[in-house]
Amino acid sequence: MSTEAIAPPRPGPPLRALLRPVVGPLVAIVIATLVGAALVAALGQNPIEVYSTLIEGGIVGWPNLSVALQMTTPLIFTGLAVAVSFHAGLWNIGAEGQMLVGALAAGIVGYAVPLPPVLHVPACLIAAAFGGLLWASVPALLRVYLNVNELVICLMMNPIALLATGFVATHALKAPGPTNKLPDILDSAVLPNFSLFSQLNAGIFIALACCVAVAIVNAMTVRGFEWRIMGLSPRFAYYGGVNVRRNAVAVMLISGAIAGLGGAEQVLGVYKAFYDNFSPGYGFDGIAVAMLANSNPIGVLFAAFLFGALSAGSGVLQMMTGVSKYLVQVLQFIIVLVLAAQFSFAWLFGRKPAKPSARVSVARSVEERTGTEKVG
Amino acid sequence: MISEIAFSAIRISTPLIFAALGGLLTFQAGILNIALDGFMIVAAFASIGVAFATESLLLGVLAGVASSMVLAALLALFNLRFRAHIFIAGIAVTFMAYGLTALLLKGVLNEEGVFSSDRIPTFAPIDIPVIRDIPVIGALISGHTLLVYIAYLCVPVVAWCLYRTRWGLRVRVVGEAEDAAAAAGVNVERLKFETMLLSGLFCGLAGAYLSLGYVSLFAKQMTNERGLIALAAIFFAKGNPYWTAAVALLFGTATALSIRLPQLTGLAPQLLQLIPYVVTVLSLIIVGIRNTRARHRHGVWRFEI
Amino acid sequence: MTGAGPERVALCNIAKSFGELVAVDDASMSIRRGEVHALVGENGAGKTTLMNILYGLLSRTSGDILLDGTPVAFKGPAEAIRAGIGMVHQHFKLAPSFTVAENIILGSEPLSRLGQLDRLEADRRTRALSQRFGFDLDPEAIVGTLPIGLRQRVEILKALYREAEILILDEPTSVLTPQETRELFATMRSLAANGRSIVFITHKLKEVLAVSDRISVMRHGRIIATTGNSGVSAEQLARLMVGRPVLMRVVKTRAHPAGAAALKVENLTVIGDRGETAVADLSLAVRPGEIVGLAGVQGNGQDELVQCIAGLRRPLSGRIEICGTAVAGREPLDCRAAGLAYIPADRGRVGLSRASRVWENMTLGHQAEFARGPFLAARSARARSAELIRRFDVRGANVDTPAASLSGGNQQKVQLARELTRAAAIILAEQPSQGVDIGAIEAIHRILVEMRDAGRAVFVISADLDEIFALSDRILVIFRGRIVADLTAEETDFEEIGRFMGGIEGPSAGLGRATASSNLDAGDRVY
Repeated sequence: MSTEAIAPPRPGPPLRALLRPVVGPLVAIVIATLVGAALVAALGQNPIEVYSTLIEGGIVGWPNLSVALQMTTPLIFTGLAVAVSFHAGLWNIGAEGQMLVGALAAGIVGYAVPLPPVLHVPACLIAAAFGGLLWASVPALLRVYLNVNELVICLMMNPIALLATGFVATHALKAPGPTNKLPDILDSAVLPNFSLFSQLNAGIFIALACCVAVAIVNAMTVRGFEWRIMGLSPRFAYYGGVNVRRNAVAVMLISGAIAGLGGAEQVLGVYKAFYDNFSPGYGFDGIAVAMLANSNPIGVLFAAFLFGALSAGSGVLQMMTGVSKYLVQVLQFIIVLVLAAQFSFAWLFGRKPAKPSARVSVARSVEERTGTEKVG
Repeated sequence: MISEIAFSAIRISTPLIFAALGGLLTFQAGILNIALDGFMIVAAFASIGVAFATESLLLGVLAGVASSMVLAALLALFNLRFRAHIFIAGIAVTFMAYGLTALLLKGVLNEEGVFSSDRIPTFAPIDIPVIRDIPVIGALISGHTLLVYIAYLCVPVVAWCLYRTRWGLRVRVVGEAEDAAAAAGVNVERLKFETMLLSGLFCGLAGAYLSLGYVSLFAKQMTNERGLIALAAIFFAKGNPYWTAAVALLFGTATALSIRLPQLTGLAPQLLQLIPYVVTVLSLIIVGIRNTRARHRHGVWRFEI
Repeated sequence: MTGAGPERVALCNIAKSFGELVAVDDASMSIRRGEVHALVGENGAGKTTLMNILYGLLSRTSGDILLDGTPVAFKGPAEAIRAGIGMVHQHFKLAPSFTVAENIILGSEPLSRLGQLDRLEADRRTRALSQRFGFDLDPEAIVGTLPIGLRQRVEILKALYREAEILILDEPTSVLTPQETRELFATMRSLAANGRSIVFITHKLKEVLAVSDRISVMRHGRIIATTGNSGVSAEQLARLMVGRPVLMRVVKTRAHPAGAAALKVENLTVIGDRGETAVADLSLAVRPGEIVGLAGVQGNGQDELVQCIAGLRRPLSGRIEICGTAVAGREPLDCRAAGLAYIPADRGRVGLSRASRVWENMTLGHQAEFARGPFLAARSARARSAELIRRFDVRGANVDTPAASLSGGNQQKVQLARELTRAAAIILAEQPSQGVDIGAIEAIHRILVEMRDAGRAVFVISADLDEIFALSDRILVIFRGRIVADLTAEETDFEEIGRFMGGIEGPSAGLGRATASSNLDAGDRVY
């Protein structure tokens, strides 16, 4: 080997490298904004007015901001749960069900197990994490040991969770009274609220801690390294001696546990009891958050805040103008739709889109597949 | 009592059968369409909106079908042309549809949660002369509205299309071996697009039935995961139209029971509503075990993500 | 064997390149009416590419195709089919859960009134066609339950149903038993006698002589000779096919194999993806300090053998030992722990994560070295990668470059750097110079020889004879899943190896892959 002819290490283009993960989401946001504006205009409203009300209602002033942060918190949990699985190439779209089961577990421990305050909240959190984990273990084990598509199982596990928790809240452990809920949790289990204007509570710090923890695991540990490789190229990981099965189960369980914690935050911090059917679809919004964040745990914070602020703003919007708060949901899922099609950006810039293989693969690994066509 | 439940089971199963027929066409072409709920909700909204505005049932149903097919075309465009993952795109389309209908409910009909009006025409029950007089069965079959009969009659039509026509053969081959179809000169993408549009057509009928036939109102998210139950039926029956319809009828019966039985026995309705989903998970487990046994003998890549 | 019909197709100076790789370089040949025309050549000679161009699957870079004297340019297979050209690919394009008749009529189905599919007519036509050409096919049979030989007939009937006058068969015998092969040849002869033209792509020289009227030999993208069948011997063909001076030879000393075998395979039998017996009762051993080359035409069981050694496939029976540890049927993890370093041929999907950075690609499998508790010492891992980039002369890369942006040769060096720095006793190198530029080939070969001199056992699997000769101390030849020759590199030559590879010589030349019906193909969708 000649040692003389070493090419100097090419410095990576710093600006482009920095911008690359942001360009896709920005394009999606712009497209969604434009489509939303057209919709609003079609409804006979002024788009600029609507958007400014939305933004103002979302983030201007502490009262609004605290509502935004309250809405952000569950989205961080579910978004992070989905992002953790996407990162490792798995599709946990069952965060909704895992969150419900976690919430139920927290609700039960919260009212039925009297404990001193120092222990009660952690006990509820552990119960919630375990509940979410349990719910995620079904798709995880089926995926890994029976090769059953986790997407379909997750899809079915969501209504099962809703109905099963509903059964508990309306029959098995129903609190006396007309409302379908469990008895209120004991005061010792309440996550302290620190805003007069909303139900913003200490749960947001748990959410932040989870994001930081996942970021550290992803960036600095051996496991995180292996998950990253699995997500980009599962065959390479398997070939290279990664215990893909065990890691896949672990990722799904962690993902489920995080979603379960999200449920605990809702029960311990917002509602102070488990209510039947309390979630407006946080688990599905989590998919939108994870897609927008490109599965990056820190990105999840920003994406969750964007959607949280929008949904806080949407409440104000509905009150101030005649536009329904569901405008935000439309915007949110236009963003997901555009991001799902992100390989077509390459196509826009003149490269042919990759053909999706029959088996499920993560959008990010598409790049991997484009360059590998065999020559005659 | 029992015949009453059976009568309502036939009624309740109608949107399930429509949606399942729509879903199984794409299923046969190799696309798992999870946006059935989204297609249905826009159709339910457009139907009732147009029926309210024009006082015409026909225009209402047509508007429902058209809107659902537009949404189907959008999903097909993103999935087939822009290569978006069908599940993510399907979820996005569904929730977009939920949001859009709620947005328009407020923006156009100026209602928050539920819209209803006396101006909305209703379907008249059809009494079938001879069948009406057959004991037991007559009371079950006669006296439904038009869309109910259309749904059940569509089952053999779809089966005929799938198993007896050139188009159906091609659809099924595309679903099983795309490259074989392409090599034989079949335009795979066009065929998939067609099945997706038909999926929109049937879900359009399902949605129109929901808001104009089943009840005479629109409520946000009124499809109540019927698309998912339909999907479960398709899975369970592996896409065969007759079996899918039978399973959908079974699931519909479970729903009918879940409405009526608790009144009598105090049983929780949720337990019966769980049936479709639990049955589907169990059947997937059985299929998984079978496939794993087959793979185990000599599979390369014993783990695929 | 007459084959003196008029010329149907003329390929004139066809060239095709994929980027910088020239696959077909100025190839010309003619196909006559009523002949069986064999197209022979080594792997990568460009045979399939040339025929894909004729079939409209690939566009040509330059050259002309004349069909009955008129220039044609097919935009896709559909146009080629319409012009009467049919092709049966090595990998069948059939829908396994459908009937024979359905598979055959697909794309041009007979219809009755009301647009209904006319099944009776389809069955009738299939049966008629099948009888006319002496095929014994039941139109109602489900394709997935048929043995491979019959599936191939379905493919051929598909082409004939579309009235193909010129039929291209790509390696049709590679999956057939000797019995099925004989039947195929009878079919080919009768088709030719019916006035059709058959192009028969193969490497198996005995088969060529048994069935063809004319033979074209392809080498390095050119047709270097076209001869009649009479008066030519298999040896002559072998020489034409492989005969050339050795391009490169790494300077190396004699091998000094010492000690117990680092890799031992005993009585290994493996089932392939299509349910065929891919490896049949195979035994071999590689000792420390020697390079053993496994020569053979692709598709003779090499892939399955390698996958079993690497833990990626489960064998049906037999033993595999790496440094005394039994690993057959275990996971890749266990094989690596036992002392295996594996350089796979499929860099894009197996040996590298193209979207990952170079340092990540170099660190996988070395996590233990950099584990500090649960944490990964990324800084030292990156430093090591930087050092490896220097040592293995990976060009145009720093530790953060995505692997996908490297050239083939440099990607291969990344793989080598990762695998060879493992404390592994046996190095399994699969097609180490495939898709690698000439300069890098030499470096890669030299590295492998260094490894041998350092006392490692090296097992090279390659379809490229140049590479086998450049590297090996000992050469094994695999044919139809069995080792048919074990030769010392200095005492053999291209032609002898070529004869073994083509199945002309060897103890089990007549034994073929038994076919078992596979229930994997039966078509259950996995969700």
